[in-house]
Amino acid sequence: MEGGNLVTVAKDQTCGTLFYLSQKKSMTEYVPESLQENAVGRAILSSKVPFQRGVVYSRLKGIIGLLAILLLALVASPHSARGGLVFLEAGNITDILRQVSEIGIISLGMTFVILTGGIDLSVGTVLALSSSLVTIVLTRVSFGWPQSVGITAAAVTALIGGALVGFMNGAIIARWRIQPFIVTLATMIGIRGLARWLTSNANIDLGFGSDIASVFARALSTKTIVIGSYVLLAVALGAVLSKTVFGRYVRAVGDNEKAAEYAGLPIVKTKILVYTMTGLLAGYAGVLHAAQNHQGNPNTGVAYELEAIAAVVIGGTSLMGGSGSISGTVVGTLIIGILTNILRLNNIDSNLELIVKAIIIIAAVWLQQKSKEST
Amino acid sequence: MRGKSLHVLLLALLTFGFIACNKDGQESASKRYFVAFSQCNNAEPYRTAQNQLMQKLFAEKGDVHLVIEDAQQDNSKQIAQIETFIRQKPDLLIVAPNERAPLTEVMGRAMAAGIPVICLERDITQPNYTTFVGADNLAIGKMAGQFIVDTLTQKHGKAEGKVVEIRGLLGVEAEMERYNGAHEVMNRYPGIRVVHEAVADWLQSNARDRMSEILRAQPEIDVVYGHNDPMAVGAYVAARDLGRDKEMVFIGVDGLGGPAGGIKKVMDGVLAATFYYPLCVDKAMEIGDQILRNRNFHPDKQYILQPELITPANASEMYQKLTF
Repeated sequence: MEGGNLVTVAKDQTCGTLFYLSQKKSMTEYVPESLQENAVGRAILSSKVPFQRGVVYSRLKGIIGLLAILLLALVASPHSARGGLVFLEAGNITDILRQVSEIGIISLGMTFVILTGGIDLSVGTVLALSSSLVTIVLTRVSFGWPQSVGITAAAVTALIGGALVGFMNGAIIARWRIQPFIVTLATMIGIRGLARWLTSNANIDLGFGSDIASVFARALSTKTIVIGSYVLLAVALGAVLSKTVFGRYVRAVGDNEKAAEYAGLPIVKTKILVYTMTGLLAGYAGVLHAAQNHQGNPNTGVAYELEAIAAVVIGGTSLMGGSGSISGTVVGTLIIGILTNILRLNNIDSNLELIVKAIIIIAAVWLQQKSKEST
Repeated sequence: MRGKSLHVLLLALLTFGFIACNKDGQESASKRYFVAFSQCNNAEPYRTAQNQLMQKLFAEKGDVHLVIEDAQQDNSKQIAQIETFIRQKPDLLIVAPNERAPLTEVMGRAMAAGIPVICLERDITQPNYTTFVGADNLAIGKMAGQFIVDTLTQKHGKAEGKVVEIRGLLGVEAEMERYNGAHEVMNRYPGIRVVHEAVADWLQSNARDRMSEILRAQPEIDVVYGHNDPMAVGAYVAARDLGRDKEMVFIGVDGLGGPAGGIKKVMDGVLAATFYYPLCVDKAMEIGDQILRNRNFHPDKQYILQPELITPANASEMYQKLTF
């Protein structure tokens, strides 16, 4: 076992399963007390942590990929009238970050889901639902609130909507033990229907005046807000994954669910939390989407789940679960964003863009497998 | 490690190869003007015809480098593509917006960057363009309604009869206007009844399925009005399968040229009529060319083009004109 694996599991004939957690900290904090008394628990607590070269390698590899794309962008960038590289213009760099931020935010949640060995296909339609909800509240609900309260209420409604869908996904997957692919495929279909039904399948346009809907769109579509929230969320969730007990549970569940179960980890709770969080993030992306597009649209977000999964996979997270990182996903997102930008700056046919993306995805995963074989 | 870096390098070279192959660098250097066209999608035949006409007309000029980007019916993608165009500072930006509200702001940014912007076919929420060249779907609806009235009057001696309507994607402006325009005219004649309205999302295959159902339910139909030509053709195919195609007439909208377009279907006797929905490109080119070459040229804020009725009488002539 290697790659981003912080948890390695070995099976022992006599006492079930042992956990070797590659954290230097004491295991006491997250092995339940009841378990500390028995053999398995003691074994976990006393386990030694081997140094993992794989982790360093995989991080490095992501950075190398990003650097290669950056280098390519510098070489291939057209020159502006003043002679500088168009790619390096501050406006262009922030364009890229703004363009990737919605998928970026969704892919943060997707990383957690995939780390548990699951998948969430419903994020695209959750984004559409959330963009519809926020605009419905903005344009059709009026309690005479001040604008800031109204905007907050609309955003919170959309976030709750997203979180609820996520919670439902997680609860069905964890409690009824139905495959995540099937559960989220079903919610993907159902939520699209719900969004269309709520809006009568019509877009809800936001204006450009000084009414509450216009103010919402103007305030939440600035680059500062959009890019800022992506960066903050990435840093925060990166810390959650690598520094908290919850983060280690997530990896443990995906690495070997049976073992995690024997060790008494709260699998159901972990899964529900992970899917709820992903729904919440997709909901937030939907709020930004509505603001940036000046529109609530029940038909938007098509194939966003696939773009998010692509970013996660390019970032080195294994679809088998257990291994991967938030920083990898951010790198994966940036690689796609920069690549798209440089192809567009060179006026490459947008259909070829798709072909290049396909090659990148296959190549990235192939490289990861190669590196696994060599370590 | 060495092997890995090599792979990454190979990958980078491959991508670079893509860019290099596509760069017609030398050609574009000799051209004086760079025109960027952000097309909302390339999938609809109407859009393809727009692209073809634009390529043809600019090629005739000889000194214009035209780049067309396809937004694949995605607002976010079109916004991103226009943002990239703004970085490239074209001499003229033409935008066929995917939807009104989402594209309004970014087109304003292009204007703010000093790029002349022509808004093509679909209007946006605020006048963030140098000029708007559009066509009138409501007028098309009214023309279709009048054609239905005339056809029924001819058939039954007075304006009465049974009409089936095959609608496009609901909630789309073009669909609503083609619907409302026709109903505005037909409502004046109580003898005309729309016996069935089906939604086929602009698609020929869907229209065929819906029409098969309608034919089972309706023993008598006089006119089938499809909101675009493919749907009218789909309805025709369903009726022909049941041997009922002679009982009714089929009319469509769009009137595109070429062997797959609606005009050919009128020539073939499949459709009784179609209504040419202007491509808007010829007018936009005429104005765009003056913007490029004449600094003192100030176009009107908008140009609204009128639709044309195409029947077997003028079909060959229109076919010549609209086939590129």
